[in-house]
Amino acid sequence: MGAKKQLEQNKREKPASMLSRTLSTGFFGGIFWSFIAWIASYFHFTTVSPTTFIIRSWLDADWTNSWLADVLSILAVSVISLLVAMVYYVLLRKTRGLLPSILFGLALWGGLFYLLLPIFPNVKPLTQLDSDTIVTTICIFILYGLFIGYSISYEYLDSISKKNI
Amino acid sequence: MSKKIPIAKDINENQSHLTKKLGIGTSFDIGFREIILLDQKVQFYYVTGLCDTSIVVELLKKLTAINDDEPNKDKLPSIIENRLVHQQVERKYELNEVITQLLSGLIAVFVENCDYAFTVDVRNYPGRGPEEPDTEKVVRGSRDGYTENIIENTGLTRRRVRDERLRNQIFQVGERSKTDICISYIKDIADDGLVNTIIKEIKSIDIDGLAMADKTIEEYLVKQGANPFPLVRYTERPDVAANHLFEGHVLIMADTSPSMIITPTTYFHHVQHAEEYRQSPAVGSFIKWIRFIGIFASVFLLPFWLVLTMEPSLLPEALHFIGPNEVGNIPIVIQIIFADIGIELLRMAAIHTPTPLSTAMGLIAAVLIGQIAIDVGLFSAEVILYVAISAIGSYATPSYELSIANKINRVLLIIITALFGVKGLVIGFTLYVLHLTNTKSLNTPYLWPFIPFNGNALIQILFRFSVPMTKKRPSIVHPKNNYKQR
Repeated sequence: MGAKKQLEQNKREKPASMLSRTLSTGFFGGIFWSFIAWIASYFHFTTVSPTTFIIRSWLDADWTNSWLADVLSILAVSVISLLVAMVYYVLLRKTRGLLPSILFGLALWGGLFYLLLPIFPNVKPLTQLDSDTIVTTICIFILYGLFIGYSISYEYLDSISKKNI
Repeated sequence: MSKKIPIAKDINENQSHLTKKLGIGTSFDIGFREIILLDQKVQFYYVTGLCDTSIVVELLKKLTAINDDEPNKDKLPSIIENRLVHQQVERKYELNEVITQLLSGLIAVFVENCDYAFTVDVRNYPGRGPEEPDTEKVVRGSRDGYTENIIENTGLTRRRVRDERLRNQIFQVGERSKTDICISYIKDIADDGLVNTIIKEIKSIDIDGLAMADKTIEEYLVKQGANPFPLVRYTERPDVAANHLFEGHVLIMADTSPSMIITPTTYFHHVQHAEEYRQSPAVGSFIKWIRFIGIFASVFLLPFWLVLTMEPSLLPEALHFIGPNEVGNIPIVIQIIFADIGIELLRMAAIHTPTPLSTAMGLIAAVLIGQIAIDVGLFSAEVILYVAISAIGSYATPSYELSIANKINRVLLIIITALFGVKGLVIGFTLYVLHLTNTKSLNTPYLWPFIPFNGNALIQILFRFSVPMTKKRPSIVHPKNNYKQR
């Protein structure tokens, strides 16, 4: 048993490593799913895009319709996602399975489109959005929440149980 | 399991037992030969189709020489044991054990007044030599592949893994077939939990025969249910198998099948191919990306194009040319499904058709059906184009099983898109990802390293790095030793 203690899989992950994993998950999740959201808006699956929220709500210059604005807002979303991932890590990392992270995604969607809506003057209220937009954004948020939440809770579970078989 | 019968001293009793049990005289392929050595009966039993005659003749020569050379009648059994000039000779005290070995091709030797029998491994199974597997061809690199013979297969692996810590554990499964199943792993890398789970599952298999060898094992091992996605990866290449052993995977091989099962497996194991690792890292990454695009197109291109034709207002201005120019006589979705079924039919037909005919069949399919279907107004040209692209995408999927699972999902996505438009496609996509995330193969999340996210591992999949740069074993197999050089 003495020799076995040295094996890496038996070591607990250090908190620092857990933290960096959480942050990288958040960052990548932000980039990836806001990129998907941008594609969805490019093909008019949804009338709102990350850019609508992050840039066009405050600025009304010409360049906000260019690709630069899209890139900037995707980056902004990934920075915000660092925070989202931290919130999940602090509150929900001990949960198991997919459901908590899906609900987390739904909660994020509700928070953005319902509670925080007054902050974004450019985005129409929920009742005036078309059904395609609502379905598409809900789905993207579900997958976004799944990505961040499930990754973090799996990583946490993996680090406390030496092996998950 | 029938009860144990000890071997009797009376050779005639043994003979009548064996004759009855094996049906000697009824079954023509079980052979029997009796010789007299020093005035005592010595009997041989063997299966004609599985023995190497030249070795048997050699043994008989040595044994019959006893009559000329040896005077001592009392020591006959030990003289015979000495004269069975073969490295694999065993004493057996139990009749059923002898029968099992006899039926796997060993020759059994009974001696009068002796309460044990000898079995000599003179097996020579009918089979082919190692050939390059059809489904995993590479331009360069080794061209040997596993065969139907489990002994040769362990040899092919051993040649690549000369590690003293490689373990090849063998089990016999099947009440009637008694098929050999071997699990291979490197002891100080593979996860004990995984090895024990697999051993437990294999030992608990209760079945009469494993005619479909590896596939049957797979179905006992992973609880597939209605899930179409392949939960284990197969390979017929020893180099791929050895590489996975080094990474800490556990391999399962079944006698009579050239396919090794690699466990645990994720979705992304099915989208990689040995060819990528035979090319320089840059080229390998390039091939990977092209392949990923193909696989992605094989699932999502058709439903996506369908939704764009259903609602042309979705198209961004730069892409307005997409969509059929003229409205056909048949709804697009029906055309797509018909064309897809047509291609699937062609594929099936091509499998059963002999090679010379299949060339002709390809011509008929491509020229006649495709072009004429457009001319008579059955299909629009664009449908043929997109169906063809996604069919090519499926053929570019390295894992045949995955390509078919993706095809089923494509059809489902097309139907749900046709019914609900944009909402259908988006919800379908979400369900596809949710389903894959929810799938587990031997407790391994199927979509790892994407969800759950593991940056380092994902980069390894998206790009091909040179071997000296990949120092860590994938964490998903929970290797006991994370660093490759140790």
